[in-house]
Amino acid sequence: MRQEGLLRHATTRLLGLVPTLLILITIAFFLIRMAPGGPFDGEKVLPPEIRANLDANYHLDEPLLQQYFRYLGQIITGDFGPSFQYKDWTVNELIAQGFPVSATIGGLAMLLAFVLGTLIGTLAALRQNSAVDYSVMGVAMLGISIPNFVVAPLLILVVAVYAGWLPAGGWDWSWQRMVLPVITLALPVIAYIARLTRGSMIEVLHSNYIRTARAKGLPELLVIRRHALKPAILPVISYMGPATAALITGSVVIERIYSIPGLGSYFVQGALNRDYTLVMGVVVFYGVVIVVLNFIVDLLYAWLNPRIRYDVT
Amino acid sequence: MQLHSIRLCAYVVAALTMVLSCHAAGAAEIRRGLGPEPDSLHIHQAQGLAAVNLLRDMREGLITFDADGELVPGQAASWQELDGGKRYRFQLRAEARWSNGDPVIAEDFVWAWRRAFTPETAAATAGLLKDVKNADRILKGEVSVETLGIVAVEPGVLDILLNEPAPWILEILAHPVSFPLHREAVDDPLTAPVNGAYMITEWTPRASIRLERNPAYHATGTVQAEKIEYFPIEEPAAELSRYRAGELDITETIPAGRFSWLEENLPGDLRVYPYLGTFWLGFNFHHPALGFSGELRTALSLAVNREILVKTVLGAGELPAWSIVPPGITGYQPSMMAPSLMSQEEREAEAVRLFKQSGFGRHEPLLLELRFNTSNVHRRVAVAVSAMWKQVLGVNTQLVNEEWKVFVNNRKMGVITEVFRGGWIADYADPSSFLDLFMSGSGMNNTFYQNTDFDMLMKSAALTGGATRMDLLRQAEARLMKDMPVIPLYYYVSRHLVRPRITGFRENVRDVHLSRYLGVILENP
Repeated sequence: MRQEGLLRHATTRLLGLVPTLLILITIAFFLIRMAPGGPFDGEKVLPPEIRANLDANYHLDEPLLQQYFRYLGQIITGDFGPSFQYKDWTVNELIAQGFPVSATIGGLAMLLAFVLGTLIGTLAALRQNSAVDYSVMGVAMLGISIPNFVVAPLLILVVAVYAGWLPAGGWDWSWQRMVLPVITLALPVIAYIARLTRGSMIEVLHSNYIRTARAKGLPELLVIRRHALKPAILPVISYMGPATAALITGSVVIERIYSIPGLGSYFVQGALNRDYTLVMGVVVFYGVVIVVLNFIVDLLYAWLNPRIRYDVT
Repeated sequence: MQLHSIRLCAYVVAALTMVLSCHAAGAAEIRRGLGPEPDSLHIHQAQGLAAVNLLRDMREGLITFDADGELVPGQAASWQELDGGKRYRFQLRAEARWSNGDPVIAEDFVWAWRRAFTPETAAATAGLLKDVKNADRILKGEVSVETLGIVAVEPGVLDILLNEPAPWILEILAHPVSFPLHREAVDDPLTAPVNGAYMITEWTPRASIRLERNPAYHATGTVQAEKIEYFPIEEPAAELSRYRAGELDITETIPAGRFSWLEENLPGDLRVYPYLGTFWLGFNFHHPALGFSGELRTALSLAVNREILVKTVLGAGELPAWSIVPPGITGYQPSMMAPSLMSQEEREAEAVRLFKQSGFGRHEPLLLELRFNTSNVHRRVAVAVSAMWKQVLGVNTQLVNEEWKVFVNNRKMGVITEVFRGGWIADYADPSSFLDLFMSGSGMNNTFYQNTDFDMLMKSAALTGGATRMDLLRQAEARLMKDMPVIPLYYYVSRHLVRPRITGFRENVRDVHLSRYLGVILENP
């Protein structure tokens, strides 16, 4: 019974993906076309004949609606088309190269943030209103409020330039080049998760069943691990869906400062260069990632919280 | 799954090389910053400077540059100017080879050039070859691509025919758009045979591009560095950090505002040199006040204290500009504005006099709009200039900051622009590269300046050659400096950090530094 409910829920959610993406594609497509200027506008004005050749090659000479339906037909087959700016690559190739980089950094940052954040949050909750609580949460507050474009150059200066322990940037899949970006990316998330955990943990620790568990004489560690942790991290889990989506699709700030070839810069570069196909490709890809991650969060939620399992009985 | 294991391998290999390369000082390897990611490594698609620089390392045209940025024979051993400058005959080097061993023949050039002019190729830079016979007519679709003025006389002899004499064509022959192509694997930059000093071995977009010495290159014996690694780093501050951390040998630029710090801390590495480019503010001649009054334009120009601008606002070695064509072009002396020799007080007095004469601002303060594209440097210049106008002339300025594409579009349309940020970097070291912009009907004449005298001077210059031509161009520029369609503010400079152990990096006005001339002094031989 429960299995079927879950399956039905999953199917409905996956089907909901189609209209969501269609709306997303339509809005993004016409929005970027409304922006003044085009991919071939620059300091130098191209001779009109060359401009016409370029437009024809990229079908920009067709009416906008025709281009829109051409694009829809194209992405159904999973083809995002050639990039306007990076002419030797297709958008599919660029995403295939950028996403693993962003996903690795973002995934590691999320993992780090989740482990450290819940740990710190729990610690603070257990010592509520003590010196530990205040100092830990004070540091967390600092983590949220200092922007990463301040943290990143400082880390580079101290760790890479002065100490020479790690490289200052760049990318070659070595762990040395991942450390600083992962830390920079994780810092605010650690802080946020710690605050979420602390809040809900305090609430849970005051509930009746925890009092019962303690009354039974269970050791405190067991009370936390077996009874308190699962319900306490529920808000963290629902936060993690969109947060993970944001982290693994790349951060333009981190990528620029550490010169990392991730997905985030394509968003900004694509939009600034009017690289229509690249912007669309990244938007669609990002949309799919968000929907899928939210879906996973739902499933995790169901597993963690029996009260909202998707059975009808 | 496969991708996963590949990545795992990559991790291990990368980690190992990191550890190993830490101490084995990359004997003959040079690591260079590249600026942005190259837009294409195809000779007919590449437009950006990054791509052009890379292509010049991998490929070679009939003509190339020496370490000082001067033109020297490349794939051609020699050439003659014939028919009064309307035809050039090139003798190819007998030892010119593609990286796969095939000889480079005249047909390879003909084929590549025709390909550049085929509509399907849509080569954005084909316009550089506009002076080649029939180029414009082929683009318009009037005649077939076979009529293009390039003829393979013999496998080793190539003729290039021009519509009119155009001595600057020799420099265009060092630009990728005029390079030859081997007919194999044309569309794959990683596998296509090349004829330059280096071959590409690996390209990870926005991370690195690795080059290796090409043993088939005609001068490969003189190439010192076995390997070159280029790092595309968009953010100058990130490039500087990586240089300071010892990960780069040569940077593409330096971050704005760090010049004096570098002068103090890395004086031996800092290389600043005049560059063939001018920064100016343009006037839209469609604007009722600005287009009407030459006195007003000149007054606005003289009111700007360029010394303060370059010293305190920019402060990276830029030079005050009094002409449109920057100094440094062989055989040409730019026509400086007359007041360039005055003191700033005299200039300001003259500005006030002219401004009064123009009649503007007599009843109420003149309000102008100064438009620029988003950039720290542009903002600082705009703020400084508007303050100077206010102080000297009492002119109020509204600053308008626009995103690049929006700005470019507005400037091109010329409907809402008044005063706008402009400038030019030479396509080739010839005054016409700058002065052509101001011809009536030029697609890049954003000021919409029109003057028949100027047009006449430019046209007569095009029909002559040598010193006469340069003299006519000088007169044309003098005309511009009198009419002041733009206010030249400063001449650009090229800025690099170069490790003292790197040899063969010589500053030049074209800012070209082919990797084939670079070497490394080994610290512990």
